[in-house]
Amino acid sequence: MDPKDGGGEEEEEEEFGFSRNYFLAREIGGGSGKKSGRKLSDIDLADEQVLRAEASRIKEKHEKEIALLLKSYKDLYPKWLFELRCGFGLLMYGFGSKKVLLEDFASSSLTDYGALVINGYLPSINLKLVIIAICEMLQDQLKTSRKGSVRKKAKTQQPLSSQSMEDLLMFLNEQPSDDNDSFVCLIIHNIDGPALRDFETQQYLARLASCSPVRVIASIDHVNAPLLWDKKMVHTQFNWCWYHVPTFAPYKAEGVFFPLILAGSSAAQSTKTALVVLQSLTPNAQSVFKVLAEHQLANVKEEGMPINTLYTKCREKFLVSSQVTLNSHLTEFKDHELVKVRKHSDGQDCLYIPLTTESLERLLQELV
Amino acid sequence: MASCPSSDPPSPPPASDGIPGNHNLQPFFVLHKASHPSSAPRKTYERSPASKKTKRRIDLSGSPTKFSKNVDDSLPTDPSDPVFDQLRFDAFNRTWSNIDTTIKDVLRKINLNLFDDVRCWVQQSFSTIRATSPVPSIAITCPYPLSTDALCKQIPTAFICTKNAEFVDDLLTFQELGEHLKCSGCHVANLSSLDFSAKHGIGACISSLLRTLVPDAADVADISVLASWYSEFSRHDNPVVVIIDDMERSNGDALAEFILMMSEWAIKIPVIFIMGVATTVDAPKRLIPSGALRCLLPCKFTLGTPCERMNALIEAVLVKPCSRFTISHKVAIFLRSYFLKHDGTVTSFIRALKLACIKHFSMEHLSFLGYGVLQDDCEAAWLHKHEVLPDVCRYTSILPLHKREKGFKRAGDAFVNGLNELRRLHKNWGSIVMCLFETGKFNKMQLFDIFCEALDPSSYTLNCPDDTSSTDIFPGGVFSPAKGGSISQAIYKVRELPMALLINLLDMWSIYTEGTPEIHEKVRELQLIMRSVDGGKILKEKCADVDKSEFLHARKSILSINEKASTLLETIVRNLLVPFECIPFHEIICFKHVHILQTALIGDPRRTIQVDLLKSRAHLQCSCCGSHGSVISSSMHDTSIMYKLAQEYGDLINLHDWYQSFKATILGSRSKTKRKGQSPASKKMKTAPIEGDAMIQARFCRAVIELQITGLLRMPSKRRPDFVQRVAFGL
Repeated sequence: MDPKDGGGEEEEEEEFGFSRNYFLAREIGGGSGKKSGRKLSDIDLADEQVLRAEASRIKEKHEKEIALLLKSYKDLYPKWLFELRCGFGLLMYGFGSKKVLLEDFASSSLTDYGALVINGYLPSINLKLVIIAICEMLQDQLKTSRKGSVRKKAKTQQPLSSQSMEDLLMFLNEQPSDDNDSFVCLIIHNIDGPALRDFETQQYLARLASCSPVRVIASIDHVNAPLLWDKKMVHTQFNWCWYHVPTFAPYKAEGVFFPLILAGSSAAQSTKTALVVLQSLTPNAQSVFKVLAEHQLANVKEEGMPINTLYTKCREKFLVSSQVTLNSHLTEFKDHELVKVRKHSDGQDCLYIPLTTESLERLLQELV
Repeated sequence: MASCPSSDPPSPPPASDGIPGNHNLQPFFVLHKASHPSSAPRKTYERSPASKKTKRRIDLSGSPTKFSKNVDDSLPTDPSDPVFDQLRFDAFNRTWSNIDTTIKDVLRKINLNLFDDVRCWVQQSFSTIRATSPVPSIAITCPYPLSTDALCKQIPTAFICTKNAEFVDDLLTFQELGEHLKCSGCHVANLSSLDFSAKHGIGACISSLLRTLVPDAADVADISVLASWYSEFSRHDNPVVVIIDDMERSNGDALAEFILMMSEWAIKIPVIFIMGVATTVDAPKRLIPSGALRCLLPCKFTLGTPCERMNALIEAVLVKPCSRFTISHKVAIFLRSYFLKHDGTVTSFIRALKLACIKHFSMEHLSFLGYGVLQDDCEAAWLHKHEVLPDVCRYTSILPLHKREKGFKRAGDAFVNGLNELRRLHKNWGSIVMCLFETGKFNKMQLFDIFCEALDPSSYTLNCPDDTSSTDIFPGGVFSPAKGGSISQAIYKVRELPMALLINLLDMWSIYTEGTPEIHEKVRELQLIMRSVDGGKILKEKCADVDKSEFLHARKSILSINEKASTLLETIVRNLLVPFECIPFHEIICFKHVHILQTALIGDPRRTIQVDLLKSRAHLQCSCCGSHGSVISSSMHDTSIMYKLAQEYGDLINLHDWYQSFKATILGSRSKTKRKGQSPASKKMKTAPIEGDAMIQARFCRAVIELQITGLLRMPSKRRPDFVQRVAFGL
């Protein structure tokens, strides 16, 4: 809803327009869908590698204008800093990659504060590691200012890496709030990105944002991104101040993990994508994956590795302690399509990695 | 202060390992650490290199005599200088902490009666538990399970109806209730619905409970830890109160399991539940299985409505001159509509007000002068500010209404005089608005409506707007309330009021106008007349045989008193109600930029991102794309071209057709330029058409990816591999 002064009629008109457009589109869609049965295969499509090579050589349009547009946002930097210091979070939206803009703002205006960047557009992110990093930054920041109090804390606490999420968030919340101008800035590119899109992660991010020594500067690109948050998150935790900052800059980093629509087999995972996902997982999970990969390379002709065999091998190597732990790793693999399940000829389920032998070998080499 | 942005366009920060862009594939990385230890980072102000020697303090808070020595001669003269950012930030902090305290006090006071009721109920319930259960010491040392009857296993539970479907407003209420109960000795744990999830089960809620009550306990979900903690010292003299603020959002099974477990332990740990219910009283029945429900001994309480809270907030924060910050008519109208139409929560209103306050202090260069404007005894401070910052205060003369402030020998006098007048008129304004609200209550009016109307500068006409020769500080004017508006209705309502209500109303007026002698005196006069008439009336009632003419006379005088009260209200409204925006210097404390507030508060990515794509030229301001928005030109941004082309399709877009149209658009202009240029290079281009095609295909793919990132496209399904689906239809 868009509450404008006396905008009731306008809103109704808009809503009416929306539904009219929708039904019109359905009608056209139905008609043209039948008429235009042309297929992609009718086009002389280039090979995926050629397409990727070409994509990296695309000459950008309006480079000068985009630079000017980005420069014009520099005038807003003092205001953004002011709002951050007042306890609000900044949410940037509008068409175009905002990666450069956000990092430039942080590098030029937030030098007095620690800044940590999350690349939310990546397929997988371990949020706990992020929170540990924030805690460490904050500890460093406070150590230099108030040595006494931090030293006292450090004695009673166990190392940050072995604490639970709850404890880490509690640690952040307990930081003295008398000096509200000492905080860590968390820059989240694509807070609506694939790795951060689930409700639980957003809950953690919201709780993180509500900690007094943390300020969030985030960008969204998806038109439905606000649906990720409920009222509590919006009003009391993230506390967004919205900024419409279209940049029209290409989504170079953000688009890496999307399949090329004209490249045909979109299901084929490249080594690079798999590598990024694996690197974000715990060392144990990586080792479990390695066991499976090595088995697959050693038995190329087999349909896959039975789950029980994998469990026994992992147990032998002390990688997992129970079936439950293994299952949690497998769920993670399956979610990211690193591993698939199919029926073995003898009827039992077996696991396989949907990559060619060459790419699997390359993956294992790079993973070390 | 952070360094001032330079004029270069932003460039990606260099990566620490020297490989730019390497960070792009890391899930997260540290961009930089804090450059200064943040012990006292922004107390001094660095200016441009040329004037770096002027690192100093500007102190506007101490006594006047101290400052003049402190002040450097080379203070910046322009109030937009970043040096003043810190002053504005400090002023904001002071102002908002003041408003925040006021808001918290108001909300606490509204709920205080309910809190007391709940406290009494908790104490009663606890004494009942103690009366029916064994002696505490025996119960505590007794091994588990204890043999008790079903009655002992029932947990007293208060269901607090919040009358508000949006629980966000009540989060603070439940926290405060917790604090209130803690003060009376209860062991309170505030849990939320997140602690009762199907995924984590009962373990999560018990961990949260332990974390709150027994902070030193190891991170294990063991209820016996709580039991032994409770038995220590003299903790067993008070109950354990578990507050769940938004019970309906919890997972029913997890909650039921928790209830059953707590009821098993009820003898060892006498627990009392307080649960917030947003919808209807039968919500617990729908959520919790009957087995667990039987373990609860319910009691119902009800909170006030958001409208009541809103009235109290408007009065305390915006009508009473406490905050040194106020809003213009348009902003008030927007905030009212935001409250009524957006989500009706007080929380969102408070957030909007805070954002308005921040925007005011970050945008209005002179806002830092506003601190103390509406306080009494601020004259000395004002004169002092004028002395300390003469050049800055000179900027006040460019404020639109300041030009009336002529005829003073010293600029400082005009400044102080103007601000005094601002304070006086605002006080009058607040008193009158409260009188109107008291009257409007008989018509069930809301304070926000009256507040908005009383702020309307278009209802106020100056007597002699062109006469600038007058040395009068305030030129005088007339406030004519809109016909049929809340103020007119309130004035009319006074005529209809029966005597008893009118007496009460005048008493209220008298209280509200105590700070404004000119109105207060008139109200007192009216009260005196009223008493004499009222006395006569009582006398008449006592005599059985009243003269008819006397009766008529008395009736007439009562009517005339209603008339007089109504006329009095009308007169003070006409002559003394001066909307804030009509008073000189109001800019210092009044926020007016409604559009800025609206865009900062309500992002509308669904619409805006589409507009960005459809009207990219508006942002890029290029000369190549043509001024006509509807015409597609090849020089446009590729994704823009694609999205414009997509508008011509239905809900399904045939990828083949789309690609061909894209290709035609791209090549359309190229063939034109070829025709124009006819250079040998263009001939060469023709010899490699396949390479060109690959490039167009790559551009097409990238545009599709970009549309996918914005969520405006859905990818082909297995059933329809040659079609993508449009997601948005119309803006």
